[in-house]
Amino acid sequence: MVPSLGYFALCLSLCFAVLQLLISIKNNSVVFVTYRVVINGLLISSLISFFSLIFCYAVSDFTVLNVFQNSHETKPLFYKIAAVWGNHEGSMLLWILVLTLFNFFIFRLYSKKNFLFISKVLQTQSIVIIGFVIFSILTSNPFERITPSQNSGLGFNPILQDPALAIHPPLLYVGYVGFSAAFSFAVAVLSSNNIEKIPWYSYMKPFVLFAWTFLTIGIALGSIWAYYELGWGGWWFWDPVENASFMPWLLGTALLHSLIVAEKRKSLQAWVLLLSILSFLLSVIGTFLVRSGILTSVHAFALDPSRGIYILGLTAFLGCYSLILFATRSNKFIRKNYFSFLSKEGSILVNNILIVVVCSTVFLGTIYPLLVEIFTSNKISVGEPYYNSTVIPIIIPAIIIMGIGPMMNWEKENGKKYLKKIIPAFSITCLITLLIFSIYQSFSFIGVMGIILAFWLISNNLMILIKKEKNYLKSMAVAHLGVGLLILGITGSSVWQKEKIINMKINDKVNVVKYNIIFEKIIEITGPNYIAIQGNFLVYDGKENIIAKLKPEKRFYPITNNITTEVAIDTNILRDLYIVLGKGNENDGWIVKIYYNPLVIWIWIGALTVFLGGVISINNNLKKLKILL
Amino acid sequence: MRKKTLIIPFAIFLLILIAFFNLLLKERNPSDIPSNLINKKIPEFEAKSLLRSEKFLSVEKFGNEVILVNFFATWCKPCRDEHVYIKRFSDEKKIKIIGINYKDKSQKTIQWLKKLGNPYSNIPIDKNGRIAIDWGVYGIPETFVVSPKKIIKYRHVGPITKKSFEKINLIINEIKNDN
Repeated sequence: MVPSLGYFALCLSLCFAVLQLLISIKNNSVVFVTYRVVINGLLISSLISFFSLIFCYAVSDFTVLNVFQNSHETKPLFYKIAAVWGNHEGSMLLWILVLTLFNFFIFRLYSKKNFLFISKVLQTQSIVIIGFVIFSILTSNPFERITPSQNSGLGFNPILQDPALAIHPPLLYVGYVGFSAAFSFAVAVLSSNNIEKIPWYSYMKPFVLFAWTFLTIGIALGSIWAYYELGWGGWWFWDPVENASFMPWLLGTALLHSLIVAEKRKSLQAWVLLLSILSFLLSVIGTFLVRSGILTSVHAFALDPSRGIYILGLTAFLGCYSLILFATRSNKFIRKNYFSFLSKEGSILVNNILIVVVCSTVFLGTIYPLLVEIFTSNKISVGEPYYNSTVIPIIIPAIIIMGIGPMMNWEKENGKKYLKKIIPAFSITCLITLLIFSIYQSFSFIGVMGIILAFWLISNNLMILIKKEKNYLKSMAVAHLGVGLLILGITGSSVWQKEKIINMKINDKVNVVKYNIIFEKIIEITGPNYIAIQGNFLVYDGKENIIAKLKPEKRFYPITNNITTEVAIDTNILRDLYIVLGKGNENDGWIVKIYYNPLVIWIWIGALTVFLGGVISINNNLKKLKILL
Repeated sequence: MRKKTLIIPFAIFLLILIAFFNLLLKERNPSDIPSNLINKKIPEFEAKSLLRSEKFLSVEKFGNEVILVNFFATWCKPCRDEHVYIKRFSDEKKIKIIGINYKDKSQKTIQWLKKLGNPYSNIPIDKNGRIAIDWGVYGIPETFVVSPKKIIKYRHVGPITKKSFEKINLIINEIKNDN
């Protein structure tokens, strides 16, 4: 019953989306009420469809193929529900729901002053929705039945049973899909004739902020999961799927900042339009790369070539339409008012270009193996060394400017006055940098650069926050402070990481940095749906005091025949001690991996702070928008 | 001039699109691992033979007919899974199969073959994994198709499944027809 209802609601969504498209085309003759009915209907039918699937998972309805393949009756309810978006079909349904939610909020902007324009935005948005609903119905129907009905599900991967991972996909989708609003706005702006009086950049900004903020926290949670669950000692691996989320984030960051310039100075409008189009296209291309099976990655989804063709076709349609529109009509948005390099907008523009260059570099690295395969029959993979040697040199000047730019005035800044402004932050940075190096005593170039940049951002943004200066936005200072903390953590954990992989028997002792670690014992334990062996390690500091007892596990899940490793981590504000229990037995000993990861916690604190800055800014912008309407 | 530069994003997009379509329509498996040994002569080796007292010399045993080389071990579960297909190659298709016993205990292997049946015409022992290194083995099980002229024609990484069984058969028939 419920699966049929869900499927019916999905088809109904398609009808409403088509209706919305028709109404928006014949805009003049339609009354507001009809519009509202269609848009609410679209939202409600997608909600019903999505919650039907959640219900099927919650009651473990194994007559549904999707539930049978991805759930198991022994799983805790929370993970049963999280399994809805842990697979391709379910996640597409969530994707559609988020699209219709944004559609609903775009409609909230509708007023007498702007109805022609908003109608154009809704038109593009409905085309995107139609594209994805048809995709779901034709190639990835989540409500497909299975005969004969099954008694037990195939379970899902136990490494996915993690709270960070359970909420990571929805946040990411809000991010990706949020850019669809920016895309629809951009297409509407390009195809409208009388746009001068409409503050479209102010309409667009809250949507972009929303998408960007959620993308930030979504990516951070993915990293947290990788760090705690995978047991590889790191938190970012330049995997194609990680890149697929990082690229829209980069363009989103650029878009956000150029939107500020567009709003304040009415310049950079064509640039804003291009970035809006590209951020969404990159989100869709990212989805294509992940779901078509064209690349191999740790995030493998079930593969089906027809899906790849469909998504690529949709991407082609959306991309060609919007970019041809851009090529032919963006001319009128280009103004020839050049501005000074020494100004707020000057620094934003330079940073925008640097960010776009970083994004192109990452894109090239991601698809390079594919390009090589087209022209030769060789297989290559692009890894960390490429990204480290290309991304870091471009990002360093960008971060320097990030510290300098916000303190400048709009239009033009006086050089001498400016120097006075930055002296306090500059001196604090020098002091702390010296202090840090007396603690860690490691002098690699990247390390020095990273620490200077981090404290440069932290000190000048903290000063803005402490002094409560009216000239600066609190949200900006908070978000930039977060980036400073993030850089601190990234630098510490990548430059000063120490790794030891050794074979240990019971009572063996190993020394890592200033800690002595003793392998005390190994015990067998039983969990709710797994059995495990657990290693007990005692960590002594230099003065022979026990500071931590770490218990990494190796779990075996009989249902799916899976073995997973559970990392044990001792965290404080200066470092993580990270222990992974590997293969072994009583006689030969166990392989133990021990990582000393400095400052990792600051990565998470930093990301959370950036998120907080985003939330504050969303709030401010919504208030501004209310005044505008 | 300015108008022309605005077309650049579209042009780049189009190129990327063409590249993606090209890859999508091409029959390829992203997890395929190509071998440098394809269309090259087999790496020669000599080793003890499991069920015979004589020494195994690859110079003598290869040539004249299509031969499958299968790296296997009793401790490897996927090897057990693919065993049915290895047997079908020998029983139904009458293909000669050389099974290279990789880092294994001989006594265990003999038991294993007694239980599951022995499809191999000869079983050279690769005690320290030396032969596997020469053949560029990525992980066992792994199977190579060797032509009558001692040329490696195809390499399959991982257990043979129903699908790959058919594919390998096709390749064998092709080689037979060429000769």
